[in-house]
Amino acid sequence: MKKLLIVSLLLTPHIPAFAEETPIVGNVQTRCLITTDTNGVFGNPLPSKLSTLSADGGVVPVVRYDVTLADSYLAKVTTPTSFSTSPSLTDAVTWTGSTTVTNTTDAGMSAYETGKVTYGSTTQYDLTIAGSTWFSSEATAVYGGTKSFPGGSYTAIVLAECIAK
Amino acid sequence: MLLALLPFGSVVAHEMTPTYPTFDASFMSGISVTTLNLFNKRKDVSYYEIGVFTDEWEPVPFVSQYTVIPMEYLDTVSFDVYVSNLSLSSVEYICSISQLKVGATVSSKICSRVK
Repeated sequence: MKKLLIVSLLLTPHIPAFAEETPIVGNVQTRCLITTDTNGVFGNPLPSKLSTLSADGGVVPVVRYDVTLADSYLAKVTTPTSFSTSPSLTDAVTWTGSTTVTNTTDAGMSAYETGKVTYGSTTQYDLTIAGSTWFSSEATAVYGGTKSFPGGSYTAIVLAECIAK
Repeated sequence: MLLALLPFGSVVAHEMTPTYPTFDASFMSGISVTTLNLFNKRKDVSYYEIGVFTDEWEPVPFVSQYTVIPMEYLDTVSFDVYVSNLSLSSVEYICSISQLKVGATVSSKICSRVK
């Protein structure tokens, strides 16, 4: 019986194990993606003041930059220096603003904040590490010293630029 | 007083590739062409303006299917940029700039670089 089993095993045609190699291909392009994570909202803590600071009842706009290749892009974030829409204003508006790194996906990106360059209302960062960086831009507008802003809708624009190096 | 403005959802994005486009000869003699791709994930943007600039950010004359590209939300568009060979050496940046709808608060601009 045992011999019969051995013989039958030997005679049994081998079933070849066909193996197909199925490649999975992909291509990661160098790219910069600018994402608005949070739109800004002005708070109105004083009649003469509009501010995105949370302490003033506002919401700070947050922009995320995703870059897939290190050392390929500069990020420039410009805080507003005028309203894009507003009621008619008869006096000057004084703007202040600043941009800071508030979150990153890589610990090495903490150097972005110390290495940033600010000129005018623009803050420039050298994106030397691949990954995502979140930038928060605060903006404050004060109307005519102590004048009250007229009632109406106010909008100001933050410009987020990603420039290939 | 109505203050500012969250009219358009939350996460919105703008992307342009490639980072480093290269110009090739076009079907017209004396004219070079390169192709770029735009992706619009911004509900608050329906148009992107295209610009070609020198390294000093001076505008360079160019021709494209559109100077302002209409894009629906989640659209991907390929577009050609034609530049005269006489101007080609001065081309440094090709940029797309979002054209915001009323109420949007973040403008985005992405520039590819011709090396």
